Amino acid sequence: MTMSTRLTKALEFANYRVTLNNQQAQLKAKTQSLLSYSINGGTFSINIPLITFCKQLIDQGQSEVVLLDIYKNPIKIEVESFYDEIFSRYNEVTNDYYTEYEKLRKARKVHKVLDLNEKGE
Amino acid sequence: MKKANNKKGILMFAHNNSEIDYFRLAVVNSLLIQKNLGIKNITVVTDPFSLSHAEKTLGKRLIKKAINNLVVVDKDKKFKEKNLRLFKDTSHNAKHLQFYNVNRCDAYDISPYEETILLDVDYLILSDTLNQCWGHNNELMMNWKYQDIMYERKDPSLDRLYDMGITMYWATVVYFRKTEYVESFFNIVKHVKNNPQFYKDLYKWQGTLYRNDYSFSIAAHMMSGFVDKGISQLPTTLYKSFDTDDIHSAIDENTIIMYLEKPRSPGDFMMTKWKDLDLHIMNKWAINRISEKLMDYAK
Repeated sequence: MTMSTRLTKALEFANYRVTLNNQQAQLKAKTQSLLSYSINGGTFSINIPLITFCKQLIDQGQSEVVLLDIYKNPIKIEVESFYDEIFSRYNEVTNDYYTEYEKLRKARKVHKVLDLNEKGE
Repeated sequence: MKKANNKKGILMFAHNNSEIDYFRLAVVNSLLIQKNLGIKNITVVTDPFSLSHAEKTLGKRLIKKAINNLVVVDKDKKFKEKNLRLFKDTSHNAKHLQFYNVNRCDAYDISPYEETILLDVDYLILSDTLNQCWGHNNELMMNWKYQDIMYERKDPSLDRLYDMGITMYWATVVYFRKTEYVESFFNIVKHVKNNPQFYKDLYKWQGTLYRNDYSFSIAAHMMSGFVDKGISQLPTTLYKSFDTDDIHSAIDENTIIMYLEKPRSPGDFMMTKWKDLDLHIMNKWAINRISEKLMDYAK
């Protein structure tokens, strides 16, 4: 293998890595956006602490509670239906994230990362 | 104009210049809005020239299908001739063209809706995330934070009006309700527009171009009690590509494949697939090139 072939290969790989990194960042951004939930005039970021806290409130027998949203505004919510919604959303979104992430991880060419054929169509 | 009995809707401004067909972009985006946000109330503010050009190229039927409320206003000719901006269709092609953005400050008065999302026509709606705004406790929201979709690229000059100045808000997407506070906000935007030299001296923005981002940022600063970042951001991130980027293709009504210019190698591109997130595409020629396809997907 000549030096120029090696260099071309290395540059191709660098290009693949940049594309892959950018695509993974896009996937993360999409997941983050889907994990945002607006209700009663407030917006919440669905995450494990929020889910756990809501479950604890239900276990303590609470029905209506005030939570601070991403703007730190107090929002009154009906905890059981709120919990059901964020719990199912979290599972749905993270499962999709996993599937798409695995697909990306296994793609070893730029066109596969982008879901295109070899001609780029 | 429709009466203010509509609860929620989208407002866009579309004034063509000699090269860029903004009205066509508005039609494309309106169809995407209907498809992805499920919103039928769409108002587009335009001028007689842009509208008659669109009627010839797109047809009245398609325009009616896309936009249910058209507001036709006359252009301020003096402003039109004075406000020139450098537009790029990638780094390979750059042109100075007229940039007619003077009436965006009238959005509050023009909007027939109780709740409005004011959008740039080139902010393509590829998801339903903006639906999170409706009924929000915050009566006015816009972003100061943005994310370039080429994650490696950073441009600190877009963070503030000047290096030591106030934070720059993006007027690309603005959510507002009809309240006294928001009316005052838009009154300040108008005051900045009418007295640009005074505010330029005070806030020291660079260059001679009038940008709505500047007047909205100044109004945000003043209406927050002269506090930086005082107006709440939208519950969605503002994703941007730049005019040095291009579009490879539209895959469906939610997916676009982009060519992104590499930061350390101008004129050289990498590709990315952008899916299920709204995107500000600064290269207007690029959107026009794929407009037929996007319209077909969104119809």
